[in-house]
Amino acid sequence: MFDQYLKHSRTTILFIMMLGAFIVMSIFLPGKFLTLSNFQSIASQIPEFGLLAIAIMLAMLTGGIDLSIISTANLAGVGAALILTKHALPQLGAYEESYIIFLAIVSAIGISLLCGLINGLLIAYVKVPAILATLGTMSIFSGIAIVITKGYGIQGFPEKFLFIGSGTILAIPMPMIIFIVFIPLMSLILNRTSYGFNLYMLGSNPVASRFSGINNRGILVRTYILSGLCSGLASIIMISRVNSIRPGYGSAYLLQAILVCVLGGVDPSGGYGNISGLVMGIIVLQILQSGFNILSFSPFFKNVVWGLMLILVMILNFYSSRYAQKIRKRLKVD
Amino acid sequence: MTGTIHKSQIQKVFNQNEAYLSLIIVAYSILVTSLNPSFLSFENLLDLGKSSASMGIMAIGVFVVLLSGGIDMSFTAIAISGQYIAANVLIASGVDNIYFAFLISCLVGLSLGAVNGLIISYFKIPTFIATLGTLNVFHGILLTVVGTKAVNSAQLPDCFKKFGATNVFTVVKPEGGSYGLSIFTVIFIAVALLTWFILTYTQLGRGIYAIGGDMEAAKRSGMNVFNIQFFIYCYVGILAGIAGVLHVSLIRYSNPTYLVGSELSVIAPVVLGGTRITGGSGTVIGTILGVAMITLLNNSLILIGLSSFWQEFFTGVIVAISVSLSSYQIRKSMMI
Amino acid sequence: MAEDFLKIQNVSKLYSGVQALDNVSMSIGQGEVHCLVGENGSGKSTLIKIIAGVVTPDGGEIIVRGKSYKNLRPIDSINEGIQVIYQDLSLFPNLSVAENISLNQLIEEKKKIINWKEVKNIASSVLSTIKKELDLNEKVENISIANKQLVAICRALLRNAKLIIMDEPTTAITKKEIDKLLSVILDLKESGISTLFVSHKLSEVLQIAEKVTVLRDGKKVGDYNAGELDYDTLSFYMSGKKIDHSVFDYQERADQKTLLEVKDLSKKGQFEDISFKLRPGEIVGMIGSLGSGRTEVALSLFGLNKPDSGSIYMNGEPVKINSPRKAISLGLCYLPEDRLNQGLFLKQSIQNNVVVTNLRKILTKSKLLNYSKKYEYAKMWVDELNINVPSLEIAVQALSGGNQQRVVIAKWLATDPKVFILDSPTVGIDVNSKSNIHNLIRQLAKKGIGVIMISDEVPEIVHNCNRILVMADGRIIQEVDTVDITEDKLFDLVSSNSKNSEG
Repeated sequence: MFDQYLKHSRTTILFIMMLGAFIVMSIFLPGKFLTLSNFQSIASQIPEFGLLAIAIMLAMLTGGIDLSIISTANLAGVGAALILTKHALPQLGAYEESYIIFLAIVSAIGISLLCGLINGLLIAYVKVPAILATLGTMSIFSGIAIVITKGYGIQGFPEKFLFIGSGTILAIPMPMIIFIVFIPLMSLILNRTSYGFNLYMLGSNPVASRFSGINNRGILVRTYILSGLCSGLASIIMISRVNSIRPGYGSAYLLQAILVCVLGGVDPSGGYGNISGLVMGIIVLQILQSGFNILSFSPFFKNVVWGLMLILVMILNFYSSRYAQKIRKRLKVD
Repeated sequence: MTGTIHKSQIQKVFNQNEAYLSLIIVAYSILVTSLNPSFLSFENLLDLGKSSASMGIMAIGVFVVLLSGGIDMSFTAIAISGQYIAANVLIASGVDNIYFAFLISCLVGLSLGAVNGLIISYFKIPTFIATLGTLNVFHGILLTVVGTKAVNSAQLPDCFKKFGATNVFTVVKPEGGSYGLSIFTVIFIAVALLTWFILTYTQLGRGIYAIGGDMEAAKRSGMNVFNIQFFIYCYVGILAGIAGVLHVSLIRYSNPTYLVGSELSVIAPVVLGGTRITGGSGTVIGTILGVAMITLLNNSLILIGLSSFWQEFFTGVIVAISVSLSSYQIRKSMMI
Repeated sequence: MAEDFLKIQNVSKLYSGVQALDNVSMSIGQGEVHCLVGENGSGKSTLIKIIAGVVTPDGGEIIVRGKSYKNLRPIDSINEGIQVIYQDLSLFPNLSVAENISLNQLIEEKKKIINWKEVKNIASSVLSTIKKELDLNEKVENISIANKQLVAICRALLRNAKLIIMDEPTTAITKKEIDKLLSVILDLKESGISTLFVSHKLSEVLQIAEKVTVLRDGKKVGDYNAGELDYDTLSFYMSGKKIDHSVFDYQERADQKTLLEVKDLSKKGQFEDISFKLRPGEIVGMIGSLGSGRTEVALSLFGLNKPDSGSIYMNGEPVKINSPRKAISLGLCYLPEDRLNQGLFLKQSIQNNVVVTNLRKILTKSKLLNYSKKYEYAKMWVDELNINVPSLEIAVQALSGGNQQRVVIAKWLATDPKVFILDSPTVGIDVNSKSNIHNLIRQLAKKGIGVIMISDEVPEIVHNCNRILVMADGRIIQEVDTVDITEDKLFDLVSSNSKNSEG
């Protein structure tokens, strides 16, 4: 019961943080923060970054980590960009253009699934520690992207494709709509399917899950594939929003994604964390991000803030778990 | 040879993994030389020894961290901070002295390393997350507070350039020009020897192996785990500071955005050298062999007909293969 | 008896309102081999901690060699020559034997620089005092648990140990190795070093000790000479209750077919030519010391340890079991030896621990989890097995050992098993809960489940099984009906055979 209390208090703290960040920004940046265009820009940035955070969260739930998310997204983006630029010529008819776009999306998703599969196989079957496996594949995937593009960017995609990243429906940016559809789906997978249940169990004790007949390898492979898929989706939104791709795009997101996970209550050692916490973490971070943008903080300075936040959250976790231990000791009869 | 005292004389120098790695290095060198005879020349080898020194020194630092069961992602930011601050201080103060540069760079390294050490040993934050955080904090502060402008070759104090050209001995080529054993290589070897000595012959070094083997047992046996961890991250910081000065002296240019992002290319040789990722096992010699292998590979890609774009890809492949092999070995030894 | 080395007088300790120790006194003579026994929670670990100076008692005094301490600090305890060897031994797996032995000495001497010759000399001289030889250069991770214990003992001796306290030293080693340990203890005794064994297991206590002190609920029950105790009296002292000695009676029915048959199952280095049959309603005991191959066979039946050759039949049909899932689908399940690591998800709720093996039952038509079904289902099993819990939401780590084991049993019963393999089902569980678990197992058998019970405790096997497979060295050396054998005979059979397995 005490553990539950902790979980609830975590959600409350996050909610207060979210409100706090919102109020502080509204007060101190009058006329700049509370504008439609600012909210639109927040709303169009949350999804690509949120999807990457979910990708890391999935890996963290198993007690691992996926450092290859950005490279996966880059490689998937390069694949899609090649199709879009090589085949989508201006003289194409509307039908052919849609077909090419469809093909590009499918191949981006295919590549990201494949990247996830490779991670999953290395981690589940070869039993490589996730941090090293994905550190290695991170280089492999982005290495391939560099070799393909020779380090240059690819730009200029068909107008229709750009709608995914920059279009709006009823003033709501498209990426946000995709994200709003995706979040409940993900939540459903994690909370209501056997796979999700087994994922949490595996994360809290992989030995016991094996001894309970859970197919650990299957769960791990599926998780990293799912993580790859999230990166792939993020990639499609990202390249469409900026109308170009270059290896190394979005590398700042890795730190932020890990930050959002620990902020949102995901336990890096596995088994704990949920989508609602993560989404609140994402919103907190994005509100701050937009505030920093209005204040025109340099990207380096933002990194200082994110890095400090990451360490601070971990320090708070340290104290709260020590406190929890104390209470548990007091409650437990020796 | 630092891990245990081995039985036979041969094993005293190389363990199995290191023997394999040496064989691969020799075989690969022969392959590359057969494609391009100039590769295995004495001159080229000395040159490789020079250019790999700064990476090698950082790798030794990373090795010590991995040995203790941790991982450090922030050492590149420390190295570039040390280098860039040293270069700027020398320019601003007008003191053109390489020892002063080393002093500043190492002091910067020591203080940033101490920050890592404090966070990790006091708050018990997982080392990856802690150092990922500090990587960004250190680098961000450097770029925000100290500056973003590169120090170009013309602005760079002469002592760096002189230091970069210092050879311990020089050979004059018959066709003109000269080459020699760079002071860089000597520093690298000195760092390796010092680290080997610390790890093998000091209480502190055995403590590093011990906390990598079993943290709880180390605490119970009365070791000061806090001090040991604190030392490790300070040591890595100082090594990064040294590496930073070597790096700027080699390329005669200090760009504060360099090095950061190349963490894997330093972690790769350590893993390749047989250091167990979970801690407690690994050798200095293995790390040196790993550095040699990676250097060899990076410098031969063009010779075997591949563009330098392949470098990152191959680094990744090497890491993936070497961790797969060692994970497979560990798995084989377990029953289930 | 020589003069007392250690005297504890009227020691009490109150932990957050619970009387962990209540006015306990005991004494250990010089060179004496003493046993401290009690169930989990009887206060024995608190007592050790007080002797080690880690815990300060609320009252009473500790007298070491005539010197009285009101407030014994860890450093005083060590200086007086008291050394505790905890169950996990606290060794460094990646360091050599020599280094593990001498490390503490070096730390104590505050040596900054290490002389490897000295390290080896120290280690080999200590080893020679206990007349044992070990490869000094071997890494500790590569030596047997018994040898690790020797290393730990050597390390303790180096610090001038006068009293060595060993916490549960015999749980993980074989009979043969226990004998080896005993010979070391006898050597120590000759040099005037006392030993205090701490244990909750009964059989080994009686053969080791000269004197036995029994604790129950924080109070001392009494001091006894080992000779005057037998299994029944000792367990009575520990639990305060007479244990139920009714023997499991299996009614063979003529029409019963064989449920599980194992033929010539072998795996190199683990077990050889294992063949046996199991009928519904039987409880077959598998007894043998650690390393006899008992757990390895069980893991093979559960799909976690691929055998090299041999065959398995369920209801006469040949089956191939290559994963736990396959085993479960065939109606086989396995309660593992290591409850805390292999059996339970400690931080997860009781509810999740129960339903984990059988999610199918709680899915909706569209294959989604139904939370109310999940609760109902878990509640049903918790009620069925009389697990006493305030809520299904609390983490399983908050439960007592006996209740935790019931949760593991519940999760397996939920799969509707035909064959239930229980590996050391009552390890670390107090005497009372033990007999409850035994009753539960008998009920399962009555319902027609075929049970295989693995244990190294003779009485447990004799009282609960109708047939016994005695294992040693990876083979079944004898198969007997329980009615044809006595406890003493079985004990002899098990111990003599593991003794012969030298080499």
